[in-house]
Amino acid sequence: MMCKDYLEETKRAYSPLNAIEEASRCLLCHDAPCSKACPAGTNPERFIRSIRFRNVSGAVETIREGNILGACCARVCPYDKLCEEACSRTGIDRPIDIGGLQRYAMDFEKSFCKKTLESPETKLQKVAVIGSGPAGLAAAAVLSLKGYKATIFEGKEKAGGWLTYGIVPSRLPQEIVDYEVDYIKSLGVEFKMNTRIGTDLTIDQLKEDGYEAICVTVGLQSPVVLSIPGVELSGVTTAVDFLSAAKPTQGAIEIPNDVIIIGGGDVAMDCATTAKLLGAKKVTIIYRRTVEEMPATKAELEHVNGLGICVLPSFKPVEILGENGKVKAIKAVGLDWLDRNTFAEVPESNIQLKAELVIQAIGQKAEEISYTGLEVNGKGLAVSDQENGKTNIEYVFAAGDIVNGGKTVVEAVARGKAAANSIHEYLSHKKNCSHIAEEAAVQKEGER
Amino acid sequence: MAKHKDLSIEFCGVKCENPFFLSSSPVGSNYDMCKKALESGWGGIYYKTVGYWIPQECSPRFDATRKEGTAFVGFKNMEMISDKPTEKNLEMMAKLKRDFPNKVLVASIMGENEEEWVKLAKAVTETGADIIECNFSCPQMTSHAMGSDVGTSPELVEKYSAAVRSGTHLPVIAKMTPNITTMEIAARAAIKGGATGISAINTIKSITEVDFDHFTCLPIVNGKSSISGYSGKAVKPIALRFIAQMAKDPQLKGIPLSGIGGIETWADALEFLLVGATNVQVTTSIMQYGYRVVEDMISGLSYWMEEKSIDRLSDIVGAALPNIVPAENIDRDFKVYPKYDHNKCVGCGRCYISCYDGGHQAIKWDSENRRPNVDEEKCVGCGLCWVVCPIEKCVTPDKTEFHSFGTPREINVIAKKL
Ligand SMILES: Cc1cc2nc3c(=O)[nH]c(=O)nc-3n(C[C@H](O)[C@H](O)[C@H](O)COP(=O)(O)OP(=O)(O)OC[C@H]3O[C@@H](n4cnc5c(N)ncnc54)[C@H](O)[C@@H]3O)c2cc1C
Ligand SMILES: Cc1cc2nc3c(=O)[nH]c(=O)nc-3n(C[C@H](O)[C@H](O)[C@H](O)COP(=O)(O)O)c2cc1C
Ligand code: SF4
Ligand code: SF4
Ligand code: SF4
Repeated sequence: MMCKDYLEETKRAYSPLNAIEEASRCLLCHDAPCSKACPAGTNPERFIRSIRFRNVSGAVETIREGNILGACCARVCPYDKLCEEACSRTGIDRPIDIGGLQRYAMDFEKSFCKKTLESPETKLQKVAVIGSGPAGLAAAAVLSLKGYKATIFEGKEKAGGWLTYGIVPSRLPQEIVDYEVDYIKSLGVEFKMNTRIGTDLTIDQLKEDGYEAICVTVGLQSPVVLSIPGVELSGVTTAVDFLSAAKPTQGAIEIPNDVIIIGGGDVAMDCATTAKLLGAKKVTIIYRRTVEEMPATKAELEHVNGLGICVLPSFKPVEILGENGKVKAIKAVGLDWLDRNTFAEVPESNIQLKAELVIQAIGQKAEEISYTGLEVNGKGLAVSDQENGKTNIEYVFAAGDIVNGGKTVVEAVARGKAAANSIHEYLSHKKNCSHIAEEAAVQKEGER
Repeated sequence: MAKHKDLSIEFCGVKCENPFFLSSSPVGSNYDMCKKALESGWGGIYYKTVGYWIPQECSPRFDATRKEGTAFVGFKNMEMISDKPTEKNLEMMAKLKRDFPNKVLVASIMGENEEEWVKLAKAVTETGADIIECNFSCPQMTSHAMGSDVGTSPELVEKYSAAVRSGTHLPVIAKMTPNITTMEIAARAAIKGGATGISAINTIKSITEVDFDHFTCLPIVNGKSSISGYSGKAVKPIALRFIAQMAKDPQLKGIPLSGIGGIETWADALEFLLVGATNVQVTTSIMQYGYRVVEDMISGLSYWMEEKSIDRLSDIVGAALPNIVPAENIDRDFKVYPKYDHNKCVGCGRCYISCYDGGHQAIKWDSENRRPNVDEEKCVGCGLCWVVCPIEKCVTPDKTEFHSFGTPREINVIAKKL
């Protein structure tokens, strides 16, 4: 039963008439702010208008042309900070449910097999994409649509990056991720799974294999851990380890009664709901900053509250206590925030909570990427132009979390698209140059 | 990347890139507007009606009947024909045709007497327009020698059609007024006079709403208002009926028809094609949403054709006509019971209320579970419950019962389009 809730999508889907009703609330703005606020160019103004005028296939076409992960984004975008925050209708009552309408169009596509995109038959140069997360998927799809032979190399068994191994199924069912990966395959993108670049293959080998450009979209795979006593105890884990154990097994993992989550973002919320839905009796979230500062979306926070999960803001964990090498409790101290960067500890509010499982959801950091030859900054992130993905190496491009330090799926899609466009620019320029060189050679030959 | 169908179709012997045209109204009243419209994808333009008589317009001049949201159900206007100098309009038309040779330009004209009709026909022919439309149908002209007062008189329609015919070699379309009972009579008169095709409908004489403080209808122009033309979504059923009737009229067989009235979506336009139009025209939805509505008309119709494997639009023109028959030809030897899907049902009880108060008291209401059950003794199969149910596919047709005089056979009924 619990497992069913964990696997079942929480938000309900629209029926056709309800979708048109919601779409008819849209003001069909001129120069629409919603479309400007979508990083990936999903163009909500355009697809909502198509739904409003009973052209759902047209809506599907618009979404797919802008965002190859339209169905995933419809479910996981923090809309309240993106398109919906910008919506003009907010000035009247509440924003249009853009995510819901996007999901409606994508569900329509899936149920009626309304595939609107097709790659050209001809194949241009080979491009290697490292990593099958949102950035890599978007880059490969755009390249394939432009006629390139794109191959994704992925170290793991399944494609999708955090879509598959992180985000919980009650928000993003695996079926949806698989569906979009299959869509991208049908565009001609090749997937080489269980192939880690840097260990199984090197960049030089890729070059020898004829890949003329390389797109690095390896994301952030190492969890950040606290530096407090007790983190090494058994029963202390990280969000991504916890979530990536739960999702592929459909929730078949052991959950103790008392679970503590450390962190205040969506990942922390996901850990909390997962633990609760999979059987924990008491789940408590400890967050350093104030409630107002919590990066989690409103909807997620509401969902967490609705499940009876306790949120303790302005508390900083100081020690994890154990017994026989196993976690037993956690100690935290209350904080008094003076401004965003300064706080004072409040010793009067020291607390200790029983804990059988402690999950640290305080972010991910980059793995070592020296195998790419890319220049990295102090945080180990690839140094690259955010707008076009160009790097210190002419034929290597980078996009997504590995460049921006970890943002959102839709941002990763946007950057993946941008990198693909610069790869296109680079390769077509290169081809032109070689054409010119060839012609020049032929001409010279002729002159002789 | 995405596929698009060839939507071209012939109308009055003129090849049109698609059947979607602006109808004659403010939406096509100067060069810049028409240019933007054509660039948005419209196949052609019925330019705002020109005449030598220049109207003096009132302010304000519009009103809308509304329902939920921001949409108009219907739209009322008090406008007359173009208030720009005739010469200026002719110049702009000529320039449009020069700059957009592959788009179709229809010159809408209105004269006050035979001589003016001839003169106008000659003048617009010289602009390079492809077709002429005679406006016999504006219901709010301040000059009664013009507008729908002409369209209701078959004699005048024939006389002025003949006048226009004498002034041009171009195809001539007569634009009909719906403010009559039988449009075929006036349409036949137009064809007799020499018109090539018929367009319908112009606006319907209306009062949209009455103000409770000023005791007049809207819009209120310094304390007074008039009965004037109604358009938009609300008039579509009436327009479809007129087109279907003309398409089925033996004397009008083969006459090209242009459908107008309440078209907002590709589906609305398709309905006009299915009842016999080869061209459609739009004003109100453009006034409300802009020229961009054509994008979804083109895309939506393309997807529909693809789904149905239809390659040429002309193949489906009039396809619904054989199945639109006189009331006496409808099978009446059976009734179909409704089925209520208790899982989809949300327990609102609307079907129960409607069947009791507006039907046959044939629904037994299970108040404990809040679910309806049909009482077959009383149910006449009218289908009211299907129509009022707010949930899709919750009430559906169930078994058919044949009357004592009926012949049992396979029956197919639909009471609600999704
Ligand atoms: C638990 C969790 C929940 C989240 N929830 C949301 C949310 O609700 N909404 C939202 O917008 N964002 C969310 N995010 C953030 C979002 O998932 C990321 O921003 C996004 O996935 C980044 O995409 P990416 O392609 O850059 O990297 P990733 O998704 O990290 O993908 C990188 C891929 O590269 C592979 N890889 C790495 N190194 C190699 C190598 N050397 N060779 C081959 N393959 C390699 C990895 O295995 C991985 O599959 C969440 C993140 C997490 C962790
Ligand atoms: C403001 C307004 C002005 C109009 N002016 C004209 C006109 O000059 N000539 C004409 O033939 N029809 C005129 N019409 C009628 C339209 O061309 C059209 O026949 C009618 O509005 C129905 O179509 P619709 O429902 O798409 O608006 C006008 C309609 C409106 C709303
Ligand atoms: S809300 Fe403002 S912008 Fe929108 S139509 Fe009204 S006046 Fe114009
Ligand atoms: S992709 Fe995300 S941000 Fe963009 S429109 Fe869709 S829901 Fe909004
Ligand atoms: S901003 Fe809101 S109201 Fe305006 S077009 Fe976008 S969704 Fe519609």
